[in-house]
Amino acid sequence: MADRPVLITAVAARTAFGRDGTRLRAEGFAGVPAFGPVTRFDTEGRRTRHAATLPGAPALVDELVGVINEVYTGPGSTVPLLLAVHADAGNQALAAEVAARTGVLGVSRVYTGACVAATSAVADAATMIATGRAERVLVAAGYLVEPSTFALFDAGRALARDGRVRPFSAGRQGMLLGDGVAAVLLESSGSNPVARLVGWSRAGDAYHVCKPRPDGKGLARAIAGALDRADLSTSDIGYVNANGTGTEFNDAAEVAALRLAGLDRVPVSSTKSVHGHALEASGLVELVATVQALNSGALPVNSGYLGADPACDLDLVVDVPRRAHIEYALTVNAAFGGANTALLVGAA
Amino acid sequence: MSATVEASVVVAGASWPESDVDTITPVTGFVVSTFNPLVAEVANRCMSGYDGEIVPERTAIVLASVNGDVTSADAVADAVATGARVAPLLFFQSNPNAVLGHIAARWGLAGPVVCTSPTGDPMADAVVCAELLFAAGEADAALVITAEVAGGSDRAEAVLVMARERA
Repeated sequence: MADRPVLITAVAARTAFGRDGTRLRAEGFAGVPAFGPVTRFDTEGRRTRHAATLPGAPALVDELVGVINEVYTGPGSTVPLLLAVHADAGNQALAAEVAARTGVLGVSRVYTGACVAATSAVADAATMIATGRAERVLVAAGYLVEPSTFALFDAGRALARDGRVRPFSAGRQGMLLGDGVAAVLLESSGSNPVARLVGWSRAGDAYHVCKPRPDGKGLARAIAGALDRADLSTSDIGYVNANGTGTEFNDAAEVAALRLAGLDRVPVSSTKSVHGHALEASGLVELVATVQALNSGALPVNSGYLGADPACDLDLVVDVPRRAHIEYALTVNAAFGGANTALLVGAA
Repeated sequence: MSATVEASVVVAGASWPESDVDTITPVTGFVVSTFNPLVAEVANRCMSGYDGEIVPERTAIVLASVNGDVTSADAVADAVATGARVAPLLFFQSNPNAVLGHIAARWGLAGPVVCTSPTGDPMADAVVCAELLFAAGEADAALVITAEVAGGSDRAEAVLVMARERA
């Protein structure tokens, strides 16, 4: 029996651009970065003071409940929820509170696999629908910039000292953290979908604790898997939302992967350059941005670009959003442990 | 060991501790916490006990831990609260994926890497995750690990499962 279709019937994302997608799609896609000095906690002694944050000190559970309620207003008791947040001893309690406040059928697990946590949840949700295990599945993910992770990434010298994220650019200094809370509703049927999830795949590097394989083979296999599932070729892909963290290691390995996959001449940008790295939630925020790009006909700018890095020869979208009518877009993510994911989105 | 679980078959297994005096081999680069060496220890025991064939690129790793590495998380929180220096190595072990990278490289397992905090029975839910990978065609074997270090009673379990049609 053929797999059932997987429709994306609703999306929502909250970032430093605000609690709806309007400013992300306007200012963010135009390359205006949302980074600024962190006021939520003391950054004294850190190498950078910058991140992309919502005003004040929002509570993760409130933001998760908010995005879930934005994307699903039907009877909660009929829809399972897959969550993705940072690994934490409080995750069972978080899942229980989100379930109680939204009335969802249940949260069987919280995905904690770093920067591919949310996209792994999306892949499992898609499989549940494609194989008839579920009619609809909610996926929600969240990360709000807080002092422990900020201190860890600072200790690891991963944060850009110049206050900008410059993916694939000469002179890039690293990543910056950003608030990101997002939700998507996947369904097997629906009268008004916003997009279709036509391919998904995961693959590992088997290489290192935290560094990506320099040859990009793991990520390239994930991309090939997503294309195979969709029965599409690289020539069908009109845009790639890259992982693009702005670090030396990641960006060069990602370019190698895109080259291996035959996607290095496809328009590419990393929206982390404007909304920052939302860690476990990053993949879901970027899936929402990819759906927005697909539906708006405007490909977001890879912000912070200073000039070409010979190791990062891509068709980057720079300066202004690129107008393009595209049928399919790919969003890729990679994480510590050599975990790679690829999600392939088709126009509704 | 050969037990059938839904769409998968368990072909090897290991646990920690195996006795009251069981030990954990340290893993270079992982500090402060027993969580990551514990995960590596039980994974190594499980893989060492399997002499059959696997296809490396089709073998996933799934780690389920209700509480995760609470020891490392507490160490970072304490350092932040007191203004002490945060050890750079803690950055690398700041999420559970990291030790799976070590295991993947050690055993050449290049399939998907998945980490979760389950809300129900950890091993049962982790096997469900493996079976979703099998159902999607993303893998046809998985090293499935559960580990907890909360409460001062470290424990871990690992099983190698195959998709039923493959086994």
